[in-house]
Amino acid sequence: MPCSLWPQINKAEYSGVWVYLEREGNRLKDVGLELLGKARDLAQKLGGAEVGGVIVAGTEEMAREAIYHGADKVVIIDNPDLQIYTPVEYAEAIARVVQKYKPEIFLIGATKRGRELAPYIANALTTGITADCTALEIDPKTRDLLQIRPTFGGTYLATIRTPQRRPQMASVGPGVFPKPPRDANRTGQIILEKVEIQKRRTRLVSVEKRLEKDVADLPPVESADVVVAGGRGLGSAEGFKLLIDLAKLLGGTVGATLMAVRAGWAPPTRLIGQTGKTIRPKLYIAVGISGAVQHLVGVTGAKIIIAINPNPHVPMMENADYAVVGDYKQILPLLLEEIKKLKGQ
Amino acid sequence: MKIVVLTKAAVPLSPSLVKIDPETGTLVREGVPLTSNVWDRDAVELALKLKDKYSGEVIALSMAPPSGIPALESLIGMGVDRAILVSDKAFAGADTWATAHVLAKTIEKYVPDYDLIVTGEETIDSATAHIGAQTANWLGVPYVYYVYDAEVRNKTLIVRRFLEDEGIDETYEVEMPAVISVLKGSQVPREVRLSRKLNAREYIQVVSNKELGLDPDCVGLRGSPTVVAGMAPATYPPRKKIVLQGEPTEVVKKLIQILREEGIL
Ligand SMILES: Cc1cc2nc3c(=O)[nH]c(=O)nc-3n(C[C@H](O)[C@H](O)[C@H](O)COP(=O)(O)OP(=O)(O)OC[C@H]3O[C@@H](n4cnc5c(N)ncnc54)[C@H](O)[C@@H]3O)c2cc1C
Ligand SMILES: Nc1ncnc2c1ncn2[C@@H]1O[C@H](COP(=O)(O)O)[C@@H](O)[C@H]1O
Repeated sequence: MPCSLWPQINKAEYSGVWVYLEREGNRLKDVGLELLGKARDLAQKLGGAEVGGVIVAGTEEMAREAIYHGADKVVIIDNPDLQIYTPVEYAEAIARVVQKYKPEIFLIGATKRGRELAPYIANALTTGITADCTALEIDPKTRDLLQIRPTFGGTYLATIRTPQRRPQMASVGPGVFPKPPRDANRTGQIILEKVEIQKRRTRLVSVEKRLEKDVADLPPVESADVVVAGGRGLGSAEGFKLLIDLAKLLGGTVGATLMAVRAGWAPPTRLIGQTGKTIRPKLYIAVGISGAVQHLVGVTGAKIIIAINPNPHVPMMENADYAVVGDYKQILPLLLEEIKKLKGQ
Repeated sequence: MKIVVLTKAAVPLSPSLVKIDPETGTLVREGVPLTSNVWDRDAVELALKLKDKYSGEVIALSMAPPSGIPALESLIGMGVDRAILVSDKAFAGADTWATAHVLAKTIEKYVPDYDLIVTGEETIDSATAHIGAQTANWLGVPYVYYVYDAEVRNKTLIVRRFLEDEGIDETYEVEMPAVISVLKGSQVPREVRLSRKLNAREYIQVVSNKELGLDPDCVGLRGSPTVVAGMAPATYPPRKKIVLQGEPTEVVKKLIQILREEGIL
């Protein structure tokens, strides 16, 4: 017997692949457009289903941008009280619209705000949701959405289905799917939906740009071409300073393993791996890192991997392009010196 | 202030302990020594700070098999007043919908007069960041994620939070009761006091579905809208696997050459 708390639904009433389109100021975030591309692909596999988008307090210009990127229909939640983001009010409004239009699949970009909204929306719709999917497919037999995500610390890839509930929901991180080309000849329908908020329970009081960078003004790990990361093998925060120097010389940034974060040598924003960031730099340098699967899953997209470790048999060394056998305390100062010489510093 | 901290007894940081039930595709948690989710210590710390300031009670709540008890003991060692372990074979294999269901019903029954629910940002072994928002929805209360600081003003909660991807701080006013999830790494969790931890077991109440009386079709694997359909080991792309060893000066020379060939220098 299905759970008595699940409202009865008629699966056949649900159709279309819809996407939540998050705003940033007065434009749409790329992740929503990326998901529209994926939605088109899924819709085609479903035999030509409709692709929809939902924008909260957006403009027609934004809706047109969504149409140019693959949407057939865009719903703008039209309520001036929702101009400013607040989690519970946004989640309720979006859930209400999804409830009305009944898409078969509803996708949300796993930005920080998206990860905040998605689980609430799923729960409000009494359906399942899979977080941080890295692939989405359609099962040709059942037409179910196959929600694929790394799990158990990245050791496995799980395929998850939502067989009994609709919509089938998934969140997907920025950059996982490519942004589709913009086609200004595409046409679609724009609908304004009045959605009232029953009661305002959260209010934004103030917003401030954070000025301080977490580590010595270095860029975030997701966006750098060179990432120098350290693990427990560094032995101290002092060791981490060498990595910062190397990263600066190479025009890159620093990352860390969970062990290094837990030791307090780097903030959690620097964590690479299953519970941290997935990166695709040109060069990844792993210093004092054993290469647990949970860490490796975050760096498999790196073009070149150099590992430095006295033990050549740890997975990080065995999964490197260049495995440097040795103590980083001997290698790094020499390397820094040589690079400085080359750069004439 | 009555504060409930949701905390997961997670599978510890060792791949050898990660085992999958071949039938259900879910993580085997029975018989594995579980430890409290590392990011939940930030949640406990923020809750204890609020208690230090406004007095009241901090109650840890966890849905886990009995092997989750040591994890709760260490949180009591940190200063949590008492803990509730909801544990029943029927709860095994729950997805986040079914987990939040049990947690919310436990709160409604055992801590109905709560002011605040605090969660960690995400768990180390699931990393969905679902439970906080879903529990808020079950209980019909507002919520805010990524909080690093909170205070009470005129019975409303003022929270400060950080959105890492946009690089901005936001301050919200939230009606209580509410759910907040605490930014991972934002607190310096206090030490576990051994003297407190030693007799912590006395402060742990174990609750099963006999007491909660939830429909067995709405908990655990059966009550989960999502189903694990397959599980494949993650694979890695091939690497050159060139080993460099010997005199550090020689090795560094080779490294420089490689950095040039690869177009880095
Ligand atoms: C569910 C789950 C999720 C996880 N998520 C993540 C995650 O997102 N990211 C992550 O990183 N980890 C994650 N972990 C933890 C992971 O399993 C490992 O524990 C962690 O990555 C190991 O960190 P490490 O390599 O720094 O430390 P260790 O495994 O202790 O390795 C240290 C290495 O340093 C080397 N070393 C020692 N001295 C020197 C020296 N002088 N010079 C050079 N090398 C030296 C040693 O030979 C050793 O190989 C997760 C674990 C679980 C169970
Ligand atoms: N089984 C559980 N029991 C109690 N709290 C939990 C449980 N699972 C998750 N949580 C809480 O929800 C947060 C987010 O977890 P997750 O959604 O698994 O990433 C955790 O940091 C905990 O505070």
